[in-house]
Amino acid sequence: MYKGNVYALEDITLDIEKGEFAFLVGPSGSGKTTFIKLLIKEEEPTSGQIYIADANINQLRKWKVPYLRRKIGCVFQDFKLLPHKTVFQNVAYAMEVTGKSHRLIEQQVPEVLKLVGLGHKLDAFPDELSGGEQQRVAIARAFINRPPILLADEPTGNVDPSLGAGIVRLLEKINSTGTTVIVATHDKAIVDNFRKRVIALENGRIIRDQDRGVYGYE
Amino acid sequence: MNKAKYFAAETWASLRKNIILAVAAIAVVAVSLGILGLVVMGWNMFSNMIKNAERKVGEVDIYLSDLTSAEELQTIEAFLVSIPEVDAKSVYYKSKDEALAEFKERFKDQPELWEYIDENPLPNSYELMTKDPKDVGMVVGRIGNEAPYRERIEDIKSASSAIEKLENIFDKFRQIGIVAVISLAIIAILLVSVTIQVAIFARRREVGIMKLVGATNWFIRWPFILEGILEGLVGSFIAILVALSVKVWILDKLMENLHFLRLSLSSGLLLVLIPCILVGGVIIGALGSAYSLGRFLEV
Repeated sequence: MYKGNVYALEDITLDIEKGEFAFLVGPSGSGKTTFIKLLIKEEEPTSGQIYIADANINQLRKWKVPYLRRKIGCVFQDFKLLPHKTVFQNVAYAMEVTGKSHRLIEQQVPEVLKLVGLGHKLDAFPDELSGGEQQRVAIARAFINRPPILLADEPTGNVDPSLGAGIVRLLEKINSTGTTVIVATHDKAIVDNFRKRVIALENGRIIRDQDRGVYGYE
Repeated sequence: MNKAKYFAAETWASLRKNIILAVAAIAVVAVSLGILGLVVMGWNMFSNMIKNAERKVGEVDIYLSDLTSAEELQTIEAFLVSIPEVDAKSVYYKSKDEALAEFKERFKDQPELWEYIDENPLPNSYELMTKDPKDVGMVVGRIGNEAPYRERIEDIKSASSAIEKLENIFDKFRQIGIVAVISLAIIAILLVSVTIQVAIFARRREVGIMKLVGATNWFIRWPFILEGILEGLVGSFIAILVALSVKVWILDKLMENLHFLRLSLSSGLLLVLIPCILVGGVIIGALGSAYSLGRFLEV
């Protein structure tokens, strides 16, 4: 996939069922972020097939990619908030692209922001927020359209350890509404506490895939 | 409706945020279209002047002896009309009485020139225009060599060859004018496109994020295009103001004071020029932004 013969991911075969909650673990550079980028077609695989809801996304037409991305909420490692938009506008943007009505946006955005504990910061700009707060805005945006799939790349990486568990609990809550959740993390404490399916990557390969697993690296 | 309101709000917010670049883009449109307008007006003035000059250059006067009979006149006139290079409708017989009346009118401020004339010294004459001023020499030669009753023709007068040379220079001017207008239009599009590209480059990260959140290319494009159109419109308004004030303060004064040059603007020119500048500004803005965006939408 990248320069030379070094592949970010190699020989990955796995199924993730609808409604599942899975941790994708491994040290940095093991391929977690690439895994997520492949699912939203931010990157293309050099070989192999990726199916989402029984559709092969490799063959997805270019103009349909935005519609795929609307079905997959994604919390990016670097948040990817729009710097010139307020917290409210950032979350609202994800609804605006789908053509939702102004009335619905006015009603749902504050609701979801309250859910992530930011009901009082609607008009703040991203650079006025702490890392943890930005992370929660990113989660609110990923979740606002109630996507069937939610991907989170290191959602606890930038927050106080005490808040990390709160964020995963939030993701768990979202999972309980039927959303498939995949969390990439190298936060051992979180993985060990929540006892979910653990897919462990190392140097781009799956070295372990177990239900109710633990982090497992030392 | 919902979307239109959203796009309008986005455009406005983006313009306010990138006010310096927006001003730069507007200035570029204004300057290029303003110069374009001036060039077109100047060009039009020049070509009108040339047309006036040509009207004179194409003129041939044939002076006739007073002994010429009515039949001879008819034969000569038929010959003149039959020359293919001659504009048949322009062939005009001017009697000596008419010539004197014209003379008196032209020098009515100096009556001493004609007050004491007993007998009309002016000849009867034919006046004609060639279809193309270039053919004057040829027509003069043909009349001199082939006309019937040549002994009745006392003199043939036409514009000198110096004016013909002037005509060639004007021809070059016209070609330069066309090249100048086309190059200016291209430069304007390039400059706007570069300016908007800078604006978009500053926001490429935002564009990337928008795509990752599920925005379609058109959803991202519209505010940028509206921004370009708005900048183009404002720029062309300024260009029109500049062109109009140059016309009122400079060109009109020139025409008044240098009326012997017969400077003039074609009457419908501004009615065509103003909408052209407006449409040009809109197209330049829209194309400039749409073109610049293409590269950043590949996410």
